[in-house]
Amino acid sequence: MFGYGWLVLIAPLLGFLSLSCLGKRIPRSIAGYLGCATVGFAFFISLILLVHLSVLEPEERVGGAQALYTWIDSGQFHLDFAILIDPLSVFMFLIVTGVGFLIHVYSLGYMEHDPEFKRFFAYLNLFIFSMCVLVSAADFFFLIVGWALVGLASYLLIGFWRDKPSAVLAARKAFVMNVIGDVGMLVAAFMIFETFGSLSYQKVFEMAPTMFLANDMNMILITLFLLVGAFAKSAQLPLHTWLPDAMEGPTPVSALIHAATMVTAGVYLVARCHTLFELAPFTMYVIATVGIITATFAGTIAMVQTDIKRVIAYSTMSQLGYMFLAVGLGMFSFGMFHLMTHAFFKALLFLGAGSVIHSLNEEQDIRKMGGLAKAMPVTYITFLIGSLALAGFPLTSGFFSKEAIIMGAYHSEMGNILFWGLAVFTAGMTAFYTFRLFFCVFQGDLRTPDAHPHESPVTMTGPLVILGFFALAAGVLGPWVDSFLSPVFGGHAEHYQDGFLETIAVFVGLGGIMTAGLLYMVRSDKIEPIKEALAPIQEILFHKYYVDEIYDFLIVKPVKAISVFLEDMGEKKGVDFAVDQVGEQVREVSKYVSLWQSGRIRDYAVNMVAGMALVLIFVAFL
Amino acid sequence: MGQEFILLVSATVFCIGAFGFMVRKNPLIMFMSVELMLNSVNFLLIGYSNILKSLDGQIFALMIMAVAAAEVVVGLALILTIFRTRHDLNVDHLDSLKG
Amino acid sequence: MLIDLGWFSFDLFQITYDGVLLAVGGTAILAALGVVLCSSPIYSALYLIGHMICLAILFLMYGAEFIAAVQLIVYAGAVMILFLFIIALLGGKKESQSFDFHKFMALSFIGTVLAELALSARVGPTRPVTGIFDEKLIADVGNAKAIGLELYSKHLIPFELASCLLLVAGVGIICLSKFTYKPPQRRSN
Repeated sequence: MFGYGWLVLIAPLLGFLSLSCLGKRIPRSIAGYLGCATVGFAFFISLILLVHLSVLEPEERVGGAQALYTWIDSGQFHLDFAILIDPLSVFMFLIVTGVGFLIHVYSLGYMEHDPEFKRFFAYLNLFIFSMCVLVSAADFFFLIVGWALVGLASYLLIGFWRDKPSAVLAARKAFVMNVIGDVGMLVAAFMIFETFGSLSYQKVFEMAPTMFLANDMNMILITLFLLVGAFAKSAQLPLHTWLPDAMEGPTPVSALIHAATMVTAGVYLVARCHTLFELAPFTMYVIATVGIITATFAGTIAMVQTDIKRVIAYSTMSQLGYMFLAVGLGMFSFGMFHLMTHAFFKALLFLGAGSVIHSLNEEQDIRKMGGLAKAMPVTYITFLIGSLALAGFPLTSGFFSKEAIIMGAYHSEMGNILFWGLAVFTAGMTAFYTFRLFFCVFQGDLRTPDAHPHESPVTMTGPLVILGFFALAAGVLGPWVDSFLSPVFGGHAEHYQDGFLETIAVFVGLGGIMTAGLLYMVRSDKIEPIKEALAPIQEILFHKYYVDEIYDFLIVKPVKAISVFLEDMGEKKGVDFAVDQVGEQVREVSKYVSLWQSGRIRDYAVNMVAGMALVLIFVAFL
Repeated sequence: MGQEFILLVSATVFCIGAFGFMVRKNPLIMFMSVELMLNSVNFLLIGYSNILKSLDGQIFALMIMAVAAAEVVVGLALILTIFRTRHDLNVDHLDSLKG
Repeated sequence: MLIDLGWFSFDLFQITYDGVLLAVGGTAILAALGVVLCSSPIYSALYLIGHMICLAILFLMYGAEFIAAVQLIVYAGAVMILFLFIIALLGGKKESQSFDFHKFMALSFIGTVLAELALSARVGPTRPVTGIFDEKLIADVGNAKAIGLELYSKHLIPFELASCLLLVAGVGIICLSKFTYKPPQRRSN
């Protein structure tokens, strides 16, 4: 039915292969356009797929798994290289390739002066390919393949500036954290195969409801292990520490991977496996709880960070928490809707931040910025739109998606006042830190005198404008997203109306903006005592609740101590000694054995005839 | 005088050839010893071809002759090359491959 | 021709045939010993020619006229002449013969093998194989033609492979004699 679906995968793969293998034969001027063109082509195919899906009846839209090639057929284990084309995967295709295309174009300008321009585009194409493999997988096997591939692409791109030690360390940290998740996914896949005898989504999702009742121990374990993968990839507590560090990578990478697409893979996973998760309400509750705690936790940290990208990174974590809250409460299409709007406005904010950093010669500290509004009007306007959307200002896209989740946090089946309260509190914090950032960067006076801010080239501002449009207007797509995805999720998510609660949420958001304005625009002396009183809290928040330090103390230090001990006792005195002795003894023996190999032909002839004599004795007498 | 004669003569000649190959140091004589061994097998094949009334033995003997001719030619060329480079005909001195 | 002496009867033709066989076979063995035991290569080569001629006579007596002819022409003729050339080129230096441990080992192994082979000579033929040619047909068409017919029909592929082998050998010696070879420096250890 969707015989051309594989084109989405093949185009970025070809781009990656040609950019990385042909090397110098591709001139630099073409390399960037080639990288953009492959992703643009993939986006075009995704649009065709969207149209194709829209003309079908809703019932026909699901289950479009295309087996391209039978890979393994061994006994009971059958594995096709298959891609799954259904509303959910096409929805993800559109976000990945669409936002990805804009960010590729943006990178043309942003990375223009980088000596390793081609390598950057090769990695970006690899990432798009990997992400498409992840979302188009029709079974858990290729899901894990894609899962690991995006981890790899993320590692390569975070550590893109490989002569920068902090970037390399951050890349390693991200990789290790992601591998923890990969192991969880693997265990889950093994358990699924053990339980259902198949890895295919279709078979597993068909069998699961008939085999298990809700909250069966099997289902809870499987979903919890899946969740380890989802939390690691989406930077939820307690596996979140890699995401802020990942900001060491180039800014377009942060926009593409660590805001718009890869980190949402966890949300996608929960949505994709909703059949399994619905059978394990306990896990759903865990998801919602961890989601809202992460949202609050990251929001508080974001309020005091001073690095422009780190603020946005923590806000990403916080928004991902919202998405997990939504899917955890069973509102899958709201989660996906927030995923989409978040992809728009967060990519916009990152690209805007990149534009600012670019014009200030790699300056990332917001305390040294300010007054950029006049110098960079396009960036200013689009950044304002992004900030409004993130803060949930009424009628922007973020308002619609976030409001649906906040309402659901109270009114849905598992919702309660605590979820709602934290969600609203976080919304207020979001508004505060977003506008703190905005005011610091664009209002007031420039705090680095010798900088000469300038507007970025059109390859960078163009994507900003397009993303700005979507960040502003994508809110109207909410009902469409819900109906488009409903065949996958087996029904619509209920949109709760509650005027009172909505009003509170809106005013909390506006209050956050006002506070930020008061603190960072007005700068009245009366506020100073309050600031001083809050200094200890700020200290804790600035150090991100000391989570890195706690991990260091609890895990890294003991492991290191044990390793040192083992190196001394086990390695040097045990294994090394044994290995050395084996080698030593073999050498001693071979000294004598090698005399046998005299190098003289006649000796060899004697040996040969002796062998022959022995064989003949054996044949004749035995 | 049946097959025992054939077997005994060919076995004796074969063993003489093998002995010569093992004890002589002159590569030319070693080659001649190899020729002896090959010829003993030829004789065996011809004799049995007569006893079994089959031409296959003779064909095989022909093949062995072809192989022996090729081997002698290459072997002599090798000996010549070795002599040209080392000016020495004692095979015991050719022990560069000693372990 | 059966000769009956009353107390002892024998076939005169058969006994003559056997006597010639024994005499030629014994000569072949003695010639082989001469090849191995002579200290000078030139004598060895001459003994080898004698051995070849003895074998050719034996082949003839076993009804393989063609092979006997080939043996004489190729071996006793071409190959041995090649040997003599090389000996002339390299100089037929005598070789010191000393009875050492090595020789003792060789003798004992050879004794063992010879004993084994002699022992196995008592087993006899295991399975008679007969080709398309019987004695009568061979007598009709002649041995050489029979071999030719067999060689170019049933054994064509080995025959062609043997020709390839000879070609490769030819190319090989051209390479060996044409290009000079620099001996590797022996590492001192």
